[in-house]
Amino acid sequence: MNFDFSFVAIQFLYGLTNAMFIFLIASGLSIIFGVLGVLNFAHGSLYMLGAYTTYQCVSFFVDSPGYFWWAVIVASVTVALLGGIIERLLLRRLYQHEQINQLLFTYALVLILSDVARFIWGVDQLSVSRPAVLKGAVEIFGQYFPKYNIFIIFLGPSIAFLFWFFMLRTRSGRMIRAAALDRETLGSLGVNVDRLFTVVFVIGSWLAALGGALVSPVVTIRPGMDVEIIINAFIVVVIGGLGSFWGTFLAALMVGTVYSMGILVFPRLSMIFIYVIMVLVLIIRPWGLLGRPLQR
Amino acid sequence: MKRLLVITTICMVMVAFSLPAMGAKDIVVGFPMYLSGGGAVFGKPSAEGAKMLVKEVNDSGGVLGRKIKLLVRDCKNSPDEATRVAKEMINKNNIDFLVGGLTSSQGLALSEVAKQEQILYIAPISKVAGMTEPPRLHKYVFRSAANSKTEGRSGAVLAAKNKKWKRWATIGPDYSYGHSVTAAFIPWLKKLRPDVEIVHQAWPKLGESDYMPFINVVMASKPDAVFGSLWGGHFINFAKQASPLGFFKKIGFVSAGEAGCLEAVKGAGDDMPAGIISNTYDTFYYPDTPWHKAWVKQCQAFTGEKYPSSWLGTGYDAMKFLTEAIKKAGTTDTDAVIKALEGLTINSSVGKLKMRAKDHQAARGQYWGTLTKVPEYPFLILKPVEYIDAEKLME
Amino acid sequence: MSRQNWVLIAVLVLLALVPLTGSRYYVFLLTDVLIFGLFAVSLNLLLGYTGLVSFGQAAYFGIGAYAYALLIKKAGLTFGVAFALTGLSGAAAALIIGFFCVRLTKIYFAMLTLAFSQIVWAIIFKWNSLTGGDTGIYGIDFPEFIGSKTKFYYFTLIVVVVSVFLLRRIVNSPFGRILTTIRDNPERTESIGINVKLFQLLAFIVSGFFSAISGGLFAIFNHSIFPDFCYWPISAEVLIMTLLGGMYSFFGPMVGAGVLLYLRLEVTSYTQYWPFILGSILVLLLFFFPGGIVGFFQDQIKKWRPSK
Repeated sequence: MNFDFSFVAIQFLYGLTNAMFIFLIASGLSIIFGVLGVLNFAHGSLYMLGAYTTYQCVSFFVDSPGYFWWAVIVASVTVALLGGIIERLLLRRLYQHEQINQLLFTYALVLILSDVARFIWGVDQLSVSRPAVLKGAVEIFGQYFPKYNIFIIFLGPSIAFLFWFFMLRTRSGRMIRAAALDRETLGSLGVNVDRLFTVVFVIGSWLAALGGALVSPVVTIRPGMDVEIIINAFIVVVIGGLGSFWGTFLAALMVGTVYSMGILVFPRLSMIFIYVIMVLVLIIRPWGLLGRPLQR
Repeated sequence: MKRLLVITTICMVMVAFSLPAMGAKDIVVGFPMYLSGGGAVFGKPSAEGAKMLVKEVNDSGGVLGRKIKLLVRDCKNSPDEATRVAKEMINKNNIDFLVGGLTSSQGLALSEVAKQEQILYIAPISKVAGMTEPPRLHKYVFRSAANSKTEGRSGAVLAAKNKKWKRWATIGPDYSYGHSVTAAFIPWLKKLRPDVEIVHQAWPKLGESDYMPFINVVMASKPDAVFGSLWGGHFINFAKQASPLGFFKKIGFVSAGEAGCLEAVKGAGDDMPAGIISNTYDTFYYPDTPWHKAWVKQCQAFTGEKYPSSWLGTGYDAMKFLTEAIKKAGTTDTDAVIKALEGLTINSSVGKLKMRAKDHQAARGQYWGTLTKVPEYPFLILKPVEYIDAEKLME
Repeated sequence: MSRQNWVLIAVLVLLALVPLTGSRYYVFLLTDVLIFGLFAVSLNLLLGYTGLVSFGQAAYFGIGAYAYALLIKKAGLTFGVAFALTGLSGAAAALIIGFFCVRLTKIYFAMLTLAFSQIVWAIIFKWNSLTGGDTGIYGIDFPEFIGSKTKFYYFTLIVVVVSVFLLRRIVNSPFGRILTTIRDNPERTESIGINVKLFQLLAFIVSGFFSAISGGLFAIFNHSIFPDFCYWPISAEVLIMTLLGGMYSFFGPMVGAGVLLYLRLEVTSYTQYWPFILGSILVLLLFFFPGGIVGFFQDQIKKWRPSK
């Protein structure tokens, strides 16, 4: 089949949108790993809870103006706090244990949270409408492209940039970066490492929940979305390099665009392309594109 | 030491509990169903429908003087789980009959268990045509659901009516059901309308959350109409993403996979496109006949819902075939019940329904129509709607 | 003969007598437990003895199942040859994947094993013409000489006992002691002139071999096989079994497999919320019984007989 340039361009933009969603979620996973050294399987569950809570908030606020944005804020903050509580009360006690215990603890959370969501919201497929300002589509290269997607394409890099600024220019950011390198030394310098860990976990959870909240107008909210996303986020983090922020960004861009462009060429094998990239990266640079070949 | 004693006692009690209960006279039916995860929205009402039939039968004295006992178990979304759960129920709970499974892969997997364990199995939802065709057809498998062949052909019958639709594209989930329903649709459409051409076929994976790239490619191929087989929540996702592009305004859409069912139209809300042609197992608003009104009333009374689910009938009819066959056979002996089931006609949720002796497939049609906004309901309904009979479409 | 061996022989005799009760439930459950027990023990060679967290062990289980099914159904080999090749297929896969994985340590190792197992899953899922895709391969019959469930139970019992015996010999051999040394302190082991990576790779291959054997057994037991055998929740499940039973005891994973499979069978009869219960059990285990069931009882016995 022959394609116009415009269709290829639009296809690329769809890939970018997807890349930004994956980036939002994977960046939280990556920062939690980078600082706490915990591979958080429950990250997808927080994403799912973010979507469900957004649905709940939308139905609460539906009469007020700009209700969608309020719902996104309230939902993501609520889930972020839940993440903080989990870290404070439970995960914290496992830092001294072997890593396998932390890993399995987050898996236990996946199991528990999926059933909690099923208990609260049932098995129905729930749906949130796009906010009024972002309904409809605009014309690009003579094709229609949804406004909401444009918003996401701009939001992703903005968050990445803000984050980068925060890490580079603020005291907390510098401490987080230091903690990722050497937490013992940081503790001996009188920094409250415990609190720092909680903050990082809350930020990571917030990013996951924000991803869930923002994706809610374009997909159905349903049981099982937690496990679907975690593997994609995981692939991106592995390709980009564990704990590497820009690595995650780069990998999300690669995965998102390769997937959507792959659909143009080999519709049924697009998924395999992603895995091929992962294998190649793992063979050539097992620590990921921008990860450090450091051994913990 | 005390803790040790407590734990030992708990273990012993649990072992005692797990010993199969003795002297049970109930007829036990195992019902593995997709109850957690994305498909649970249909699995749950289907199981409710089965319970409704069991209550109806038991309230009137049971079958052959024995009560029916229904064991509903979650088998998630995979054929692997379905196999495991079915085997557990056969070996542990000594079930007499097996009914259930949702996805096509689950139906095939359960059919295999039935063959191996020599237990009668009725598929209430799984549609893949190959299940009741050689080489996979065997003595123990029956299907009360419609199958992908009649479904695809029904879609083709409606698709052929619009003379303007010449260039067709298809989009379906990349697994057994999507492939088999599309494979039934295309030749039937070409038979009815030799002038059509297929310009593109898109195969997103089952459970894909981002349909945008697929939608773009489908639009790039400039079809007049698209045949889709994204079922349930998959269709809702697709519709949510396609609507803002004016997809449904520009391109006709015929959807298999029950996009017209109540769960789908309610789930999609504002994003459900009006004007597409789709199907459903049941509609509470059609037909306006005494037997159907009675059926809707029974559903409303049992579930307590004003607009009862379109999926209750799936579990109900499968269980009804089973209980009627046991009644006719006068025994629960598997071979005798199989004999009784072949050619049996029941009063089902869609009226008279016959289980064909030749291929163990119920001659079941579905309701098809155009999704339309009406003032009476807060969601779209199929209007006009018709029941497309399967008999003419089957070999 | 040591005390432990007497206990083992007693357990074996009991297991051999089970089919005489005529209960197909116990035969079914115990066949399942034996197969997954072997799977968990083979994983524990990495986890408990070498200190390598493999989060992708399902890959070798699945490869074993598919290798057996394909060799029997597509290549038409005889049972004996196919079954022997099943184990070797797992070992070969473990050699290739392990070669890349042992270059990393700890959590990075876990991530990499998980990544590779997902690749195995994706290949099996997408390679429709060979593997049947999502519908899997069906109709894997019992070989003629084990043509009934009871006979298959005895066959499984023999295979598992032989495999476990071999694994026990391995962990008690000088090779096994090197593995535990690596677990306790890889740097020091390296400094005394032992090629740590090589020994880790060897452990990985042995583990892959026996995981594949258990996968092959499961393929026959289940009669149908599906891509989900390689999917990551299976890897998590076998890790939970290992931890539940106790990763620092040789037979712990076997006990864990038994308890978990039994609990699941019972609990799912009463409630749909098995994931919630499994998650809660796991949390309790991690916080209060880090030594697992066997570890807990060993502690109790020690308290009871402080002299020993």
